[in-house]
Amino acid sequence: MEPFRFSYVNIGNTMLQQLTNLSDKELISRARKLKDQEAEGVLLERYSHLMVAVCLPYLNTAPGTGADDVFPVLLQRLSNSLKTQTIHKVNEWIHYNIKAMQDKSDRNLPFFSTTESREIQQVENRIEQAAMNQKEQQQLLAQVNTVISQLPAEEKYFLTKFYLEQQTLAQLAASKKYSIDKTRQILKNAKQHMASILMK
Amino acid sequence: MSSNNDKILKIFSTVRCMNRDQLPRYLDGRLTDLEKHLLEQHLVDCDLCFDALQTLSQAKYREQYQPLSVSIQQYIRNSIRKVSTTQKVERYQRLEQKKESFLIYFWVVAAVALGAGGVYLVQQQNKFKAMNPPQPIAAVDKVMEPIQTSQSQPVVQQAETAAAPVASGTSGRDTLQRRPTPAEVKPVALVKKDTVKAAPATPKPAPPKDTIKKLPPAEQKEEKSTLQPARETPAPVAEKKDTPPPAPKPVPKKEKEKDDDDTKTVDAQPTGTDEFLYKAAMVYHQQGDLNEAISRYKHLTDSKSKYGELSRYQLAVCYRSKGQTGKARRMFKEVVRMNGPMKEKAQSALDSL
Repeated sequence: MEPFRFSYVNIGNTMLQQLTNLSDKELISRARKLKDQEAEGVLLERYSHLMVAVCLPYLNTAPGTGADDVFPVLLQRLSNSLKTQTIHKVNEWIHYNIKAMQDKSDRNLPFFSTTESREIQQVENRIEQAAMNQKEQQQLLAQVNTVISQLPAEEKYFLTKFYLEQQTLAQLAASKKYSIDKTRQILKNAKQHMASILMK
Repeated sequence: MSSNNDKILKIFSTVRCMNRDQLPRYLDGRLTDLEKHLLEQHLVDCDLCFDALQTLSQAKYREQYQPLSVSIQQYIRNSIRKVSTTQKVERYQRLEQKKESFLIYFWVVAAVALGAGGVYLVQQQNKFKAMNPPQPIAAVDKVMEPIQTSQSQPVVQQAETAAAPVASGTSGRDTLQRRPTPAEVKPVALVKKDTVKAAPATPKPAPPKDTIKKLPPAEQKEEKSTLQPARETPAPVAEKKDTPPPAPKPVPKKEKEKDDDDTKTVDAQPTGTDEFLYKAAMVYHQQGDLNEAISRYKHLTDSKSKYGELSRYQLAVCYRSKGQTGKARRMFKEVVRMNGPMKEKAQSALDSL
């Protein structure tokens, strides 16, 4: 019996390694179509450290919010949600569910990615497809330059500094004496703005 | 200019979330410029990673983070293993159930097929039996012929004996000679013939002659009309009933009657049983049960009556129809050697074999 047990464990480990190399999309697909709970586990494990970090301020704030209570409930909620909801970006889906669990009034609302998020995703896909076609890439580049020129001055400044000059968030925040959070929010808004113009 | 263009397009490049190694390294400032810039590009879009960084930038949460992160990872792995083993057990059980159900279906189908095959075989056998009867009937025709001849031959003999030696022929002798086959000559009967012969020395021999002359045609008629072995026995009995009246003297008559009765009982008993056995064998022969017929005929081969020869002949026929030509030839030769009424038939059969 011993060799069999060892071989089984080895098979399990190799399976886990293979699953770890899969992308989020592939793991979701396996978990849904094949009802592969190992794939589901690998996906949740991939984001578990971020879940812990985000949930830390919420832990022990009220009765029944200990780590032993919160994380099994959160994982079960995510597991149930995975089977029923459309997930484009796993990080957005997990963040939504953590916030929904912490704010109990929203817990029954299903997750839907925002319009801005979908627009950004579409632009990302378009640029990814154009990477192989130089002509299309040139057209896209001209379009993006035009869009940047249409943006407000502050957004244009932050975009130029952050993406072209590769300044850090801290440097940008310090230059304008903004907080890192505000700087990030300006960049995020500028990106969403660009995406919405490009997708028109 | 071209590098700027590449950088502009990288505004919309996709970067993965921070892994459990990158997160503390970012907080500690242990990342390369390129790596840091890529993660910050991701941080612009990802609320989850940014919130995590914001939380972990506080020292009190940083201490709790590491053990909790390890324990939740372990918790997920354990639950995966439990789930996966239970899944595998369930899959195995499902497979086993499927196999069992397939096996059950297989055996049910096999049993049905066997049953159907059995029924089909029985039907075929019945059909074969239904188709076969012409052969036993033909055999019966062949079988019946010898019986006719065996009956007709004694009649001819009787006619001859009745026509030529009138003086020597007596009623008692005739009645005794009318007994079936010429092969069947028993010492007891011969002794009684002598005693019967002594009786006709008395003055009135005429009435017996008449009876002798009258009786044979009647017998012939009966035999010709029926030609069945079953009717053989009643005829001699009728004759015997007719014969007694002409005897003039009461004492010899009684003696003669007693003698006749004795001879009848002695003579009739074996032939009766032989006949019965022979008919029984014939029935089996007609039904096509050759083995049973052969065993029955074999019992009769030792008989010294005409059925001995007949049964040998039939035995040979049975062997021939079974394809055992060696045995058939031997039996036909025996019949020929017996030099009885079946000799010619046996010889012709032997020739044709």
